Amino acid sequence: MEYIATFYSHFGAIKFNKKCESLTWPSRMMPVPRALSSSCGTCVKYTALADSWCPFDAAPDEVEQVVKITDSGYENIYAAKGS
Amino acid sequence: MTKIKDHAGIIISCAIIGVIASVLALLGNPKNMGFCIACFIRDTAGGLGLHRAEAVQYIRPEIIGIILGSFLCAFFTKEFKSKGGSAPFTRLVLGFFVMVGCLMFLGCPFRMIIRLAGGDLNAILGLVGFACGVLAGVFFLSKGYSLKRTYKLPAADGFLMPVIALISLILVIAAPAFIFFTEEGAGPGALHAGIAISLGAGLIVGALAQRTRLCMAGGIRDVVLFKDFHLVIGFISVLAACFIMNLILTGATGTSLFNLGFAEQPIAHTDGLWNALGMFLVGFACILLGGCPLRQLVLTGEGNTDSAITIIGLVLGAAFCHNFGLASSADGPTSNGKIAVIIGIAVVAVIACVNTFIKPKDSKEVS
Repeated sequence: MEYIATFYSHFGAIKFNKKCESLTWPSRMMPVPRALSSSCGTCVKYTALADSWCPFDAAPDEVEQVVKITDSGYENIYAAKGS
Repeated sequence: MTKIKDHAGIIISCAIIGVIASVLALLGNPKNMGFCIACFIRDTAGGLGLHRAEAVQYIRPEIIGIILGSFLCAFFTKEFKSKGGSAPFTRLVLGFFVMVGCLMFLGCPFRMIIRLAGGDLNAILGLVGFACGVLAGVFFLSKGYSLKRTYKLPAADGFLMPVIALISLILVIAAPAFIFFTEEGAGPGALHAGIAISLGAGLIVGALAQRTRLCMAGGIRDVVLFKDFHLVIGFISVLAACFIMNLILTGATGTSLFNLGFAEQPIAHTDGLWNALGMFLVGFACILLGGCPLRQLVLTGEGNTDSAITIIGLVLGAAFCHNFGLASSADGPTSNGKIAVIIGIAVVAVIACVNTFIKPKDSKEVS
């Protein structure tokens, strides 16, 4: 499954991307797609090679939102509390 | 083909912004200053009496329009979200020094493009400095710089700045005695298009910038970090449209809106080193803030109170610059201004280092 994770900071995206790389999950950092958010921050587009979307044991605090890429657009998977 | 379609929105939107910038200069704004976020915030600070530089006092409706245009667009597309709490005081300090850098160069990154479109070659030095500043900021970003996350806030917080913008609009229209206006012929503050025209232009630019996420600093950042040229294409579109419109209007009206060279440029000086250093400070601080002054105004309209704090920092910086002789003039930079820019670069570098290399233990995963 292909996902896009958005973050509260560029730092969060770097950490997330490094974790994906350590698990050999295909991933890349890129600007957040306009259709997803009015924010101009950094997101990570990645393919989860496991049942869970999350490469960590639990979603890190820096993750703001995760969506699954579908044929019809984006499907919300996760949203941080207080976001 | 898909690539062109992906960029069509920002190309058209930014071309409209470039045309508006050129037309505003014809309709009364200072030449090469159809838009300047820093100068207009400085004028507004003067209009409210926060500094007493009589040449630059006028509550600029363009600033009000950008905030309200972004607000209306975000509100009706359900993108308005009241949020904040990401190192607000650090952002205020960064905003302060962005203004110090802008008033050394005499323009924000947006005006830098407009100055280039008007043939002002001094802006090339500014662009070089700005790009180097962005690179410095990107270096810290890639090393893990962060001002920490934002939080959802009560809706009222996000509405405050649009309400303040509305009150400012009432003040400039009603013109009560306690509001300052530069007298006719006394300086750039007296040069302005009509209130309705300026407000309308601001509303359009605010709405378009909200939809496209146009950001002068973000454009260069995205090229360096991701090889993504989307925002830079917007940057180039503003430049091309403003340049072409300047030539057309010069030919059609006889009013000179294009003058190629370094000397005798409107509201500019020819000190290349300090033009570059001023914009270096701006580029560096803008990356740490997450956007240029235009982007900060737009985010304010979307309910981002961190950006609202940054705007207050810009206002504070403008007041200091004119109360303490830091701002440049057509005669060149001042000694006080040079010292302030050096201090600004040092302070911004310290902020970058502290927020990159000094972190809680659980955050030290990035080298």
